[in-house]
Amino acid sequence: MNKLYKILRFSAIVVMALLMNHGIILAQEEATEEPAKERPARAAFESGLLFDAATTTLQPSKTLEMIIQHRFGTMNNGTEDLFGIWAPSNIRLGLNYSILNNLMVGIGTTKFNKMQDIQIKYNVLQQTRSNKIPVTVSLYEVIGIDARADETFGMNYKFSHRMNYFTQIIISRRFNDMFSLQVAPGFTHYNSTDSTVDHDRISFSFAGRVKFSPQSSLIIGADFPLQIQGISEHTKDFNDMAEPMKPNICIGYEVATSTHAFHLYLASGQGILPQENIMLNKNDFFDKGILIGLNITRLWSF
Amino acid sequence: MKNSMKLIAIFSAAVLFMIINVAMIQKPGGPWNVPAKYKSMKSTIKAGDASINSTGKELYNKHCKSCHGAKGLGDGPKAANLKTSCGDFSSKDFQAQADGDIYYQSFVGRDEMPNFEKKITDEADRWAVVYFMRTLKK
Repeated sequence: MNKLYKILRFSAIVVMALLMNHGIILAQEEATEEPAKERPARAAFESGLLFDAATTTLQPSKTLEMIIQHRFGTMNNGTEDLFGIWAPSNIRLGLNYSILNNLMVGIGTTKFNKMQDIQIKYNVLQQTRSNKIPVTVSLYEVIGIDARADETFGMNYKFSHRMNYFTQIIISRRFNDMFSLQVAPGFTHYNSTDSTVDHDRISFSFAGRVKFSPQSSLIIGADFPLQIQGISEHTKDFNDMAEPMKPNICIGYEVATSTHAFHLYLASGQGILPQENIMLNKNDFFDKGILIGLNITRLWSF
Repeated sequence: MKNSMKLIAIFSAAVLFMIINVAMIQKPGGPWNVPAKYKSMKSTIKAGDASINSTGKELYNKHCKSCHGAKGLGDGPKAANLKTSCGDFSSKDFQAQADGDIYYQSFVGRDEMPNFEKKITDEADRWAVVYFMRTLKK
Protein backbone atom coordinates (compact mmCIF):
# COMPACT_ATOMS: atom_id res chain seq x y z
CA MET A 1 0.00 0.00 0.00
CA ASN A 2 2.86 2.24 0.96
CA LYS A 3 4.57 1.39 -2.31
CA LEU A 4 1.41 2.26 -4.27
CA TYR A 5 1.14 5.53 -2.35
CA LYS A 6 4.77 6.37 -3.25
CA ILE A 7 4.16 5.58 -6.92
CA LEU A 8 1.01 7.72 -6.95
CA ARG A 9 2.81 10.59 -5.20
CA PHE A 10 5.71 10.37 -7.67
CA SER A 11 3.29 10.24 -10.59
CA ALA A 12 1.42 13.28 -9.23
CA ILE A 13 4.67 15.24 -8.92
CA VAL A 14 5.67 14.30 -12.47
CA VAL A 15 2.23 15.26 -13.83
CA MET A 16 2.28 18.55 -11.91
CA ALA A 17 5.78 19.30 -13.15
CA LEU A 18 4.72 18.51 -16.70
CA LEU A 19 1.60 20.67 -16.35
CA MET A 20 3.60 23.55 -14.89
CA ASN A 21 6.16 23.24 -17.65
CA HIS A 22 3.36 23.13 -20.21
CA GLY A 23 1.82 26.18 -18.56
CA ILE A 24 5.08 28.08 -18.84
CA ILE A 25 5.40 27.08 -22.50
CA LEU A 26 1.79 28.12 -23.10
CA ALA A 27 2.42 31.46 -21.40
CA GLN A 28 5.53 31.95 -23.51
CA GLU A 29 3.59 31.12 -26.63
CA GLU A 30 0.86 33.55 -25.62
CA ALA A 31 3.48 36.22 -25.04
CA THR A 32 5.03 35.65 -28.45
CA GLU A 33 1.66 35.48 -30.10
CA GLU A 34 0.59 38.85 -28.65
CA PRO A 35 -0.82 40.85 -31.54
CA ALA A 36 1.57 43.42 -32.96
CA LYS A 37 0.73 46.98 -31.93
CA GLU A 38 -0.99 48.91 -34.69
CA ARG A 39 1.33 51.57 -36.06
CA PRO A 40 -0.29 54.81 -37.20
CA ALA A 41 0.42 55.62 -40.83
CA ARG A 42 2.65 58.57 -41.53
CA ALA A 43 0.75 61.82 -42.02
CA ALA A 44 -1.02 62.18 -45.35
CA PHE A 45 0.16 65.78 -45.72
CA GLU A 46 3.24 67.59 -44.49
CA SER A 47 1.32 70.30 -42.67
CA GLY A 48 -2.10 70.74 -41.07
CA LEU A 49 -2.65 73.51 -43.60
CA LEU A 50 -2.95 73.22 -47.38
CA PHE A 51 -3.67 76.55 -49.14
CA ASP A 52 -6.57 77.80 -47.00
CA ALA A 53 -7.84 74.32 -46.17
CA ALA A 54 -7.18 72.09 -43.20
CA THR A 55 -5.72 68.63 -43.65
CA THR A 56 -5.97 65.69 -41.27
CA THR A 57 -2.33 66.17 -40.29
CA LEU A 58 -1.94 67.06 -36.64
CA GLN A 59 1.32 67.89 -34.93
CA PRO A 60 2.24 65.94 -31.76
CA SER A 61 0.97 67.28 -28.43
CA LYS A 62 2.57 70.44 -27.04
CA THR A 63 3.56 71.70 -30.47
CA LEU A 64 2.96 75.33 -31.40
CA GLU A 65 2.53 76.19 -35.06
CA MET A 66 2.79 79.72 -36.40
CA ILE A 67 1.05 80.36 -39.71
CA ILE A 68 1.43 83.21 -42.19
CA GLN A 69 -0.97 83.12 -45.15
CA HIS A 70 -0.87 85.62 -47.97
CA ARG A 71 -3.01 86.10 -51.08
CA PHE A 72 -2.27 88.83 -53.59
CA GLY A 73 -4.85 90.38 -55.93
CA THR A 74 -6.02 88.72 -59.15
CA MET A 75 -3.53 88.59 -62.01
CA ASN A 76 -5.94 89.87 -64.68
CA ASN A 77 -4.47 93.40 -64.77
CA GLY A 78 -1.15 92.04 -65.98
CA THR A 79 1.89 94.27 -65.58
CA GLU A 80 -0.26 97.22 -64.46
CA ASP A 81 -0.21 95.86 -60.91
CA LEU A 82 2.52 93.26 -61.50
CA PHE A 83 0.09 90.37 -61.81
CA GLY A 84 -1.72 91.29 -58.60
CA ILE A 85 1.37 91.63 -56.41
CA TRP A 86 0.81 95.40 -56.08
CA ALA A 87 -2.94 94.99 -55.68
CA PRO A 88 -4.63 94.88 -52.24
CA SER A 89 -3.76 91.56 -50.66
CA ASN A 90 -5.27 89.45 -47.94
CA ILE A 91 -3.15 88.26 -45.03
CA ARG A 92 -3.80 85.99 -42.09
CA LEU A 93 -1.60 85.42 -39.05
CA GLY A 94 -2.45 82.36 -36.99
CA LEU A 95 -1.26 80.25 -34.10
CA ASN A 96 -2.21 76.59 -33.62
CA TYR A 97 -1.43 74.54 -30.55
CA SER A 98 -1.73 70.77 -30.23
CA ILE A 99 -3.17 70.01 -26.81
CA LEU A 100 -3.21 66.27 -27.47
CA ASN A 101 -1.83 64.18 -30.28
CA ASN A 102 -5.30 64.25 -31.81
CA LEU A 103 -6.61 67.66 -30.72
CA MET A 104 -5.55 71.08 -31.95
CA VAL A 105 -6.90 74.55 -31.18
CA GLY A 106 -6.00 77.71 -33.04
CA ILE A 107 -6.61 81.42 -33.29
CA GLY A 108 -6.01 83.83 -36.13
CA THR A 109 -6.62 87.27 -37.53
CA THR A 110 -7.25 88.11 -41.18
CA LYS A 111 -7.00 91.44 -42.97
CA PHE A 112 -10.09 91.32 -45.21
CA ASN A 113 -13.31 92.01 -43.26
CA LYS A 114 -11.16 92.11 -40.09
CA MET A 115 -12.00 88.46 -39.53
CA GLN A 116 -10.92 86.94 -36.25
CA ASP A 117 -11.13 83.18 -35.91
CA ILE A 118 -11.01 80.31 -33.50
CA GLN A 119 -10.33 76.83 -34.86
CA ILE A 120 -10.59 73.33 -33.46
CA LYS A 121 -9.48 70.13 -35.16
CA TYR A 122 -9.96 66.68 -33.68
CA ASN A 123 -8.80 63.43 -35.23
CA VAL A 124 -11.45 60.78 -34.72
CA LEU A 125 -9.69 58.01 -36.63
CA GLN A 126 -6.06 57.53 -37.56
CA GLN A 127 -5.03 55.52 -40.62
CA THR A 128 -2.83 52.59 -39.68
CA ARG A 129 0.04 51.03 -41.62
CA SER A 130 -1.63 47.66 -41.57
CA ASN A 131 -4.67 49.23 -43.27
CA LYS A 132 -6.92 47.97 -40.50
CA ILE A 133 -8.07 51.60 -40.43
CA PRO A 134 -7.69 52.73 -44.06
CA VAL A 135 -8.32 56.46 -43.60
CA THR A 136 -7.76 59.30 -41.17
CA VAL A 137 -10.90 61.20 -40.21
CA SER A 138 -10.88 64.66 -38.65
CA LEU A 139 -13.58 66.99 -37.44
CA TYR A 140 -12.77 70.60 -38.13
CA GLU A 141 -14.56 73.73 -36.94
CA VAL A 142 -13.76 77.37 -37.68
CA ILE A 143 -15.65 80.10 -35.85
CA GLY A 144 -15.22 83.47 -37.53
CA ILE A 145 -15.90 86.85 -35.97
CA ASP A 146 -16.23 89.83 -38.31
CA ALA A 147 -14.68 92.78 -36.47
CA ARG A 148 -15.77 95.57 -38.82
CA ALA A 149 -17.75 98.58 -37.57
CA ASP A 150 -21.26 98.00 -36.19
CA GLU A 151 -22.83 99.91 -39.13
CA THR A 152 -21.66 97.19 -41.53
CA PHE A 153 -24.31 94.87 -40.12
CA GLY A 154 -27.35 97.08 -40.81
CA MET A 155 -29.84 98.93 -38.63
CA ASN A 156 -30.62 96.31 -35.99
CA TYR A 157 -27.09 95.43 -35.02
CA LYS A 158 -26.46 92.55 -32.65
CA PHE A 159 -23.08 91.07 -31.82
CA SER A 160 -24.24 87.68 -33.10
CA HIS A 161 -24.42 89.15 -36.63
CA ARG A 162 -20.65 89.09 -36.67
CA MET A 163 -20.44 85.34 -36.28
CA ASN A 164 -19.95 82.76 -39.01
CA TYR A 165 -19.20 79.07 -38.79
CA PHE A 166 -17.56 76.41 -40.90
CA THR A 167 -17.83 72.74 -40.03
CA GLN A 168 -16.09 70.00 -41.98
CA ILE A 169 -15.48 66.29 -41.85
CA ILE A 170 -12.10 65.59 -43.45
CA ILE A 171 -11.30 62.10 -44.70
CA SER A 172 -7.78 61.49 -45.95
CA ARG A 173 -5.71 58.58 -47.09
CA ARG A 174 -1.98 58.30 -47.57
CA PHE A 175 -1.87 55.84 -50.46
CA ASN A 176 1.91 55.62 -50.51
CA ASP A 177 4.94 57.80 -49.84
CA MET A 178 4.18 59.76 -52.97
CA PHE A 179 0.42 60.16 -53.18
CA SER A 180 -2.18 61.35 -50.65
CA LEU A 181 -5.75 62.44 -51.14
CA GLN A 182 -8.49 63.88 -48.97
CA VAL A 183 -12.17 64.64 -49.42
CA ALA A 184 -14.12 66.88 -47.09
CA PRO A 185 -17.82 67.70 -47.05
CA GLY A 186 -18.49 70.93 -45.20
CA PHE A 187 -21.26 73.20 -43.95
CA THR A 188 -20.98 76.99 -43.75
CA HIS A 189 -23.33 79.27 -41.85
CA TYR A 190 -23.24 83.07 -41.68
CA ASN A 191 -25.47 84.73 -39.09
CA SER A 192 -25.62 87.81 -41.27
CA THR A 193 -25.34 88.04 -45.05
CA ASP A 194 -26.42 90.31 -47.89
CA SER A 195 -30.09 89.83 -48.72
CA THR A 196 -29.20 88.02 -51.98
CA VAL A 197 -26.95 85.45 -50.30
CA ASP A 198 -28.15 82.39 -48.37
CA HIS A 199 -27.10 82.02 -44.76
CA ASP A 200 -26.24 78.34 -45.21
CA ARG A 201 -24.19 76.52 -47.80
CA ILE A 202 -23.02 72.95 -48.15
CA SER A 203 -19.69 72.44 -49.85
CA PHE A 204 -17.48 69.65 -51.03
CA SER A 205 -13.70 69.99 -50.90
CA PHE A 206 -10.83 67.83 -51.99
CA ALA A 207 -7.07 68.07 -51.79
CA GLY A 208 -4.22 65.99 -53.10
CA ARG A 209 -0.48 65.76 -52.95
CA VAL A 210 2.06 64.23 -55.28
CA LYS A 211 5.45 64.16 -53.63
CA PHE A 212 8.21 64.23 -56.24
CA SER A 213 11.25 64.64 -53.99
CA PRO A 214 11.89 64.12 -50.27
CA GLN A 215 10.93 67.71 -49.53
CA SER A 216 8.91 68.91 -52.53
CA SER A 217 5.36 68.19 -53.62
CA LEU A 218 2.83 69.25 -56.18
CA ILE A 219 -0.31 70.18 -54.25
CA ILE A 220 -3.83 70.69 -55.51
CA GLY A 221 -7.10 71.52 -53.83
CA ALA A 222 -10.60 72.77 -54.52
CA ASP A 223 -13.69 73.85 -52.60
CA PHE A 224 -16.96 73.51 -54.47
CA PRO A 225 -19.91 75.46 -52.99
CA LEU A 226 -23.08 73.53 -53.78
CA GLN A 227 -26.28 75.36 -54.72
CA ILE A 228 -28.90 73.14 -53.11
CA GLN A 229 -32.40 74.47 -53.64
CA GLY A 230 -33.75 72.56 -50.64
CA ILE A 231 -31.78 74.67 -48.15
CA SER A 232 -31.94 77.93 -50.10
CA GLU A 233 -33.94 80.89 -48.79
CA HIS A 234 -34.60 82.07 -52.35
CA THR A 235 -36.75 80.79 -55.17
CA LYS A 236 -35.27 78.62 -57.91
CA ASP A 237 -35.84 81.39 -60.46
CA PHE A 238 -33.96 83.87 -58.27
CA ASN A 239 -31.07 81.46 -57.79
CA ASP A 240 -30.94 80.69 -61.52
CA MET A 241 -30.67 84.41 -62.29
CA ALA A 242 -28.12 85.18 -59.53
CA GLU A 243 -24.39 85.10 -60.17
CA PRO A 244 -23.27 81.72 -58.81
CA MET A 245 -20.46 81.39 -56.26
CA LYS A 246 -17.34 80.04 -57.93
CA PRO A 247 -15.22 77.14 -56.72
CA ASN A 248 -11.98 78.01 -55.00
CA ILE A 249 -9.37 76.08 -56.99
CA CYS A 250 -5.74 75.99 -55.90
CA ILE A 251 -2.63 74.42 -57.39
CA GLY A 252 0.90 74.91 -56.19
CA TYR A 253 4.24 73.78 -54.91
CA GLU A 254 5.06 72.72 -51.36
CA VAL A 255 8.45 72.52 -49.68
CA ALA A 256 8.52 70.95 -46.24
CA THR A 257 11.48 70.93 -43.90
CA SER A 258 11.80 69.69 -40.36
CA THR A 259 10.06 72.70 -38.87
CA HIS A 260 8.63 74.62 -41.84
CA ALA A 261 6.19 74.14 -44.67
CA PHE A 262 6.10 76.61 -47.56
CA HIS A 263 3.36 76.80 -50.16
CA LEU A 264 3.59 78.89 -53.32
CA TYR A 265 0.46 78.54 -55.40
CA LEU A 266 -2.18 79.86 -57.75
CA ALA A 267 -5.71 80.16 -56.37
CA SER A 268 -9.04 81.74 -57.23
CA GLY A 269 -10.52 82.62 -53.83
CA GLN A 270 -9.03 85.66 -52.13
CA GLY A 271 -10.52 84.76 -48.78
CA ILE A 272 -8.34 82.87 -46.34
CA LEU A 273 -10.85 81.36 -43.94
CA PRO A 274 -12.64 78.50 -45.74
CA GLN A 275 -16.11 79.93 -45.09
CA GLU A 276 -15.17 83.16 -46.89
CA ASN A 277 -14.24 81.30 -50.06
CA ILE A 278 -17.20 78.95 -49.94
CA MET A 279 -19.78 81.65 -49.23
CA LEU A 280 -18.41 84.67 -51.08
CA ASN A 281 -15.90 83.74 -53.82
CA LYS A 282 -16.75 85.12 -57.27
CA ASN A 283 -13.31 84.76 -58.86
CA ASP A 284 -13.35 82.19 -61.65
CA PHE A 285 -10.09 80.24 -61.88
CA PHE A 286 -10.70 79.71 -65.61
CA ASP A 287 -11.73 83.29 -66.39
CA LYS A 288 -9.21 85.88 -65.19
CA GLY A 289 -9.75 85.01 -61.55
CA ILE A 290 -6.34 83.61 -60.65
CA LEU A 291 -4.15 85.08 -57.93
CA ILE A 292 -0.82 84.23 -56.34
CA GLY A 293 -0.80 82.90 -52.78
CA LEU A 294 1.81 81.79 -50.32
CA ASN A 295 1.87 80.18 -46.89
CA ILE A 296 4.62 79.75 -44.33
CA THR A 297 4.29 77.57 -41.23
CA ARG A 298 6.78 77.19 -38.42
CA LEU A 299 6.72 74.60 -35.62
CA TRP A 300 8.02 74.74 -32.07
CA SER A 301 7.93 71.68 -29.84
CA PHE A 302 7.72 71.96 -26.06
CA MET B 1 53.45 109.34 -41.10
CA LYS B 2 50.57 108.68 -43.46
CA ASN B 3 52.18 105.42 -44.56
CA SER B 4 52.70 104.19 -41.00
CA MET B 5 49.06 104.98 -40.16
CA LYS B 6 47.97 103.00 -43.18
CA LEU B 7 50.22 100.12 -42.10
CA ILE B 8 48.77 100.16 -38.58
CA ALA B 9 45.24 100.19 -40.01
CA ILE B 10 45.97 97.23 -42.29
CA PHE B 11 47.68 95.34 -39.46
CA SER B 12 44.77 96.02 -37.08
CA ALA B 13 42.25 94.86 -39.69
CA ALA B 14 44.27 91.68 -40.25
CA VAL B 15 44.43 90.97 -36.49
CA LEU B 16 40.68 91.61 -36.13
CA PHE B 17 39.97 89.31 -39.09
CA MET B 18 42.08 86.54 -37.52
CA ILE B 19 40.39 86.95 -34.11
CA ILE B 20 36.94 86.76 -35.72
CA ASN B 21 37.94 83.68 -37.69
CA VAL B 22 39.42 81.95 -34.66
CA ALA B 23 36.23 82.73 -32.74
CA MET B 24 34.16 81.22 -35.57
CA ILE B 25 36.07 77.94 -35.78
CA GLN B 26 33.69 75.13 -34.93
CA LYS B 27 34.56 72.98 -31.97
CA PRO B 28 33.99 69.23 -31.98
CA GLY B 29 31.04 68.29 -29.82
CA GLY B 30 32.94 66.24 -27.24
CA PRO B 31 32.04 62.74 -26.07
CA TRP B 32 28.37 61.89 -25.65
CA ASN B 33 27.12 60.63 -22.32
CA VAL B 34 24.66 58.04 -23.60
CA PRO B 35 22.50 56.46 -20.84
CA ALA B 36 22.77 52.68 -20.54
CA LYS B 37 19.10 52.33 -21.46
CA TYR B 38 19.83 53.70 -24.92
CA LYS B 39 23.21 52.01 -25.36
CA SER B 40 21.61 48.60 -25.13
CA MET B 41 18.64 49.46 -27.36
CA LYS B 42 17.87 47.01 -30.10
CA SER B 43 16.42 48.00 -33.43
CA THR B 44 12.80 47.15 -34.13
CA ILE B 45 13.61 46.65 -37.82
CA LYS B 46 16.08 44.34 -39.45
CA ALA B 47 19.16 45.45 -41.36
CA GLY B 48 18.22 45.58 -45.03
CA ASP B 49 14.58 46.42 -44.31
CA ALA B 50 12.87 48.08 -47.28
CA SER B 51 11.96 51.11 -45.15
CA ILE B 52 15.62 52.12 -44.78
CA ASN B 53 15.95 53.43 -48.31
CA SER B 54 12.42 54.80 -48.48
CA THR B 55 11.25 56.12 -45.11
CA GLY B 56 14.74 56.36 -43.59
CA LYS B 57 16.16 58.24 -46.54
CA GLU B 58 13.13 60.53 -46.83
CA LEU B 59 13.15 61.43 -43.13
CA TYR B 60 16.91 61.96 -43.18
CA ASN B 61 16.54 64.34 -46.11
CA LYS B 62 13.72 66.22 -44.42
CA HIS B 63 15.11 66.51 -40.89
CA CYS B 64 18.88 65.98 -41.02
CA LYS B 65 20.25 67.00 -44.42
CA SER B 66 20.13 70.76 -43.89
CA CYS B 67 22.92 70.49 -41.27
CA HIS B 68 24.51 67.09 -41.82
CA GLY B 69 24.56 67.21 -45.63
CA ALA B 70 23.22 64.76 -48.20
CA LYS B 71 26.10 62.34 -47.59
CA GLY B 72 26.41 62.92 -43.84
CA LEU B 73 29.69 64.78 -44.15
CA GLY B 74 28.47 67.61 -41.91
CA ASP B 75 28.43 70.06 -44.81
CA GLY B 76 24.73 70.99 -45.05
CA PRO B 77 23.80 74.64 -45.72
CA LYS B 78 23.03 75.33 -42.04
CA ALA B 79 26.21 73.66 -40.71
CA ALA B 80 28.44 76.70 -41.10
CA ASN B 81 26.28 78.72 -38.70
CA LEU B 82 26.60 76.21 -35.85
CA LYS B 83 29.08 76.55 -33.00
CA THR B 84 29.62 72.81 -32.92
CA SER B 85 30.88 70.67 -35.78
CA CYS B 86 28.23 68.32 -37.17
CA GLY B 87 30.66 65.41 -37.41
CA ASP B 88 31.09 63.00 -40.28
CA PHE B 89 28.64 60.08 -40.52
CA SER B 90 30.81 58.39 -43.14
CA SER B 91 33.79 58.16 -40.76
CA LYS B 92 34.99 54.98 -39.06
CA ASP B 93 34.61 56.56 -35.61
CA PHE B 94 30.95 57.35 -36.19
CA GLN B 95 30.13 54.01 -37.77
CA ALA B 96 31.91 52.11 -34.95
CA GLN B 97 29.28 53.27 -32.48
CA ALA B 98 26.47 51.00 -31.34
CA ASP B 99 23.04 51.47 -32.90
CA GLY B 100 21.71 52.68 -29.53
CA ASP B 101 24.40 55.38 -29.34
CA ILE B 102 23.42 56.71 -32.76
CA TYR B 103 19.73 56.50 -31.82
CA TYR B 104 20.29 58.59 -28.67
CA GLN B 105 22.42 61.19 -30.42
CA SER B 106 19.95 61.46 -33.30
CA PHE B 107 16.64 61.65 -31.47
CA VAL B 108 17.32 62.79 -27.90
CA GLY B 109 20.08 65.21 -28.84
CA ARG B 110 21.86 67.86 -26.78
CA ASP B 111 22.72 71.56 -27.11
CA GLU B 112 22.64 72.52 -30.80
CA MET B 113 21.50 69.04 -31.85
CA PRO B 114 17.71 69.33 -31.38
CA ASN B 115 15.45 66.65 -29.99
CA PHE B 116 13.61 64.86 -32.80
CA GLU B 117 11.39 62.56 -30.75
CA LYS B 118 8.35 64.70 -31.59
CA LYS B 119 9.28 65.15 -35.23
CA ILE B 120 9.72 61.42 -35.90
CA THR B 121 7.32 59.72 -33.55
CA ASP B 122 7.29 56.15 -34.85
CA GLU B 123 9.96 53.87 -33.36
CA ALA B 124 10.53 51.86 -36.53
CA ASP B 125 10.85 55.06 -38.57
CA ARG B 126 13.60 56.23 -36.20
CA TRP B 127 15.49 52.98 -36.69
CA ALA B 128 15.09 53.36 -40.45
CA VAL B 129 16.90 56.70 -40.14
CA VAL B 130 19.66 55.13 -37.99
CA TYR B 131 20.16 52.37 -40.55
CA PHE B 132 20.10 54.88 -43.39
CA MET B 133 22.95 56.68 -41.63
CA ARG B 134 24.78 53.35 -41.65
CA THR B 135 24.55 53.36 -45.46
CA LEU B 136 26.55 56.61 -45.54
CA LYS B 137 29.68 54.69 -44.49
CA LYS B 138 32.56 55.23 -46.91
